[in-house]
Amino acid sequence: MEKEKREIVRLEKVVKTYHMGEHTVHALNGISISISEGEFVAIMGPSGSGKSTLLNMIGCLDVPTEGRVLIDGVSTAEMTEEELTRIRRDRIGFVFQSFNLIPTLSARENVELPMIFRKVGEKERKERAQKLLEKVGMGDKSDHRPSELSGGEQQRVAIARALANDPSIILADEPTGNLDTSSGNEIMNIMKELNRTGRTIIVVTHDPSVADFAERIIRIRDGKLDVS
Amino acid sequence: MYLEIARRNLKRQRMRSVLAIVGMIIGVMAISSIGIFGNSLKMSTLEVFGGVATEIIVYPSYQDGYSSIDPHTALKISKIPGIQDFIAVKSRTDYITVRKERVFGTVYGIDDPGQLVKISRGSLVLSSSNCLAGAVLAEKYGLRVGSKISINGYSLRVSGILKEKGRSFDINPDRGIIVSEQTFNRLYGGDYSFIVVYAGSVTGVKKVSDQIDSVVNRRGTVVKIWEMKDFLESINRAFTYISRFLMAIAGVSLLVAGVSILNIMLMSTIERTKEIGIMKAIGASRSEILTIFLLEAILLGVTGSILGGVLSIAGGYAIDMIILKSAKYVFVSKTFLYIAQGIGFGLITAVVSGLYPAWKASNLEPIDALRYE
Ligand SMILES: Nc1ncnc2c1ncn2[C@@H]1O[C@H](COP(=O)(O)OP(=O)(O)OP(=O)(O)O)[C@@H](O)[C@H]1O
Ligand SMILES: [Mg+2]
Repeated sequence: MEKEKREIVRLEKVVKTYHMGEHTVHALNGISISISEGEFVAIMGPSGSGKSTLLNMIGCLDVPTEGRVLIDGVSTAEMTEEELTRIRRDRIGFVFQSFNLIPTLSARENVELPMIFRKVGEKERKERAQKLLEKVGMGDKSDHRPSELSGGEQQRVAIARALANDPSIILADEPTGNLDTSSGNEIMNIMKELNRTGRTIIVVTHDPSVADFAERIIRIRDGKLDVS
Repeated sequence: MYLEIARRNLKRQRMRSVLAIVGMIIGVMAISSIGIFGNSLKMSTLEVFGGVATEIIVYPSYQDGYSSIDPHTALKISKIPGIQDFIAVKSRTDYITVRKERVFGTVYGIDDPGQLVKISRGSLVLSSSNCLAGAVLAEKYGLRVGSKISINGYSLRVSGILKEKGRSFDINPDRGIIVSEQTFNRLYGGDYSFIVVYAGSVTGVKKVSDQIDSVVNRRGTVVKIWEMKDFLESINRAFTYISRFLMAIAGVSLLVAGVSILNIMLMSTIERTKEIGIMKAIGASRSEILTIFLLEAILLGVTGSILGGVLSIAGGYAIDMIILKSAKYVFVSKTFLYIAQGIGFGLITAVVSGLYPAWKASNLEPIDALRYE
């Protein structure tokens, strides 16, 4: 399959340091990565190697201590808080290991939430949420609360929510970490399908069989690219 | 939709929300009920003084050496335009002989006392040989229409028994009698003790009293002019202050309710840190998080305040019944003002208490909030 080679995410010598009292932890230690539009990338590495920190940096939830993170060529450190919020809302879809649905809202309302933040009209919002739930195979359970859904079902709702504002980048931190193998596979198949329709997918995982879905694997160790 | 989210979050901690609402109800009820009571107290006091706001009393200026008002001055006053009624009063305290007993009381000489007193039995018409007996005097000595009394050997027939007048700033005939001016002149002679005039309207009072001042007091202060309106206004003011003071004390309970909202909102901000992080990660802005949390506080405030406002009618009724033994001043239009005031204060308290937790929630760093377990 042919893909455009436009760069969508770029990290330049990114350092992230945390201060824990006396200690300083270098969660990321001078990492440089380039990801093109439409790529499916897996980030692998041992626990504590800085995978989540890296993903949060790309997701505009955090900014680097040193170096730059560029989304579509714009450095996140130079963006205002409003611009960061807008990118998180419109350009990026997050999928978490622990699903992170809002417990008081139904499946459909959870999917509506990012659209509410974007001020999409009620009718359009509800229709789109329903359509997205159908797309992930949850159309018949749209009125259920998260507590009434299985882990795999919750994660599908979370994917539908990540797609709400039609983002170009999907970031997933261990999306199958809390799921059994078959539900995990279903989730990854949905991811693969999203990638086929042109979305850039970046998945953090421990699991080699999950990484197999990706077309490129980035390995990190101690906050650095692992090139061994 | 934010309102719906807020509502569901409150339902999630039902007991806690209910308690916060109860606090609000108590606070608003305390303020409004006491406001209603204060107003009732004022109105019942004004009723006791029963003054007509158009009444003006003209006294001789004792400080300037005048102890009475001469007929010439009285005549000048009576001719001032804008006066609807003019009553010149002569009075003297003396022994009145009633059924062979000598009773000390006030004798008033007034020709047409109909404006100042009400008759309970008999007639108000006075001639040279009759008198009107005050209610207390009549009751104590069993006077009836037709009874005889005498003053200094001068015999008078009681032709009317007056209704009790109570405290008043013009005449107090309850323990005395009223005779015609002619009779009074025959008994004592002398000038007028004071003059009561009524202006045609409340707005005309000032003009009349200024006129009296400029006509009579042109060459030195001969008379002092006293407007009932001023007095009524000062009662009004005094009770408004008392009422406000009581409401401020009641406000402490609203403050407590505010603190409890602050407390539960802070608790839920902490409990929902992760949720705030999720919402920020999927695109919620600072102001949207602020809105959601503030709406929760407002919802508690609105519910509590409205219920408290409605219940304060019952509260005001209860306090009035216990202290004033009457609830006739509860159902007046001012009551709604106090209810509105209570509700208003309730809402302000809720918003102010909700502001800090909401601000705190909106300022969480998304990454920290998301990592929170
Ligand atoms: N907010 C923080 N404060 C202090 N230290 C942090 C913070 N966030 C991350 N770290 C540290 O940075 C390092 C990298 O953390 P990160 O969560 O990125 O690892 P990870 O590769 O995702 O690990 P895992 O596979 O267990 O999820 C760890 O040593 C972690 O303790
Ligand atoms: Mg991690």
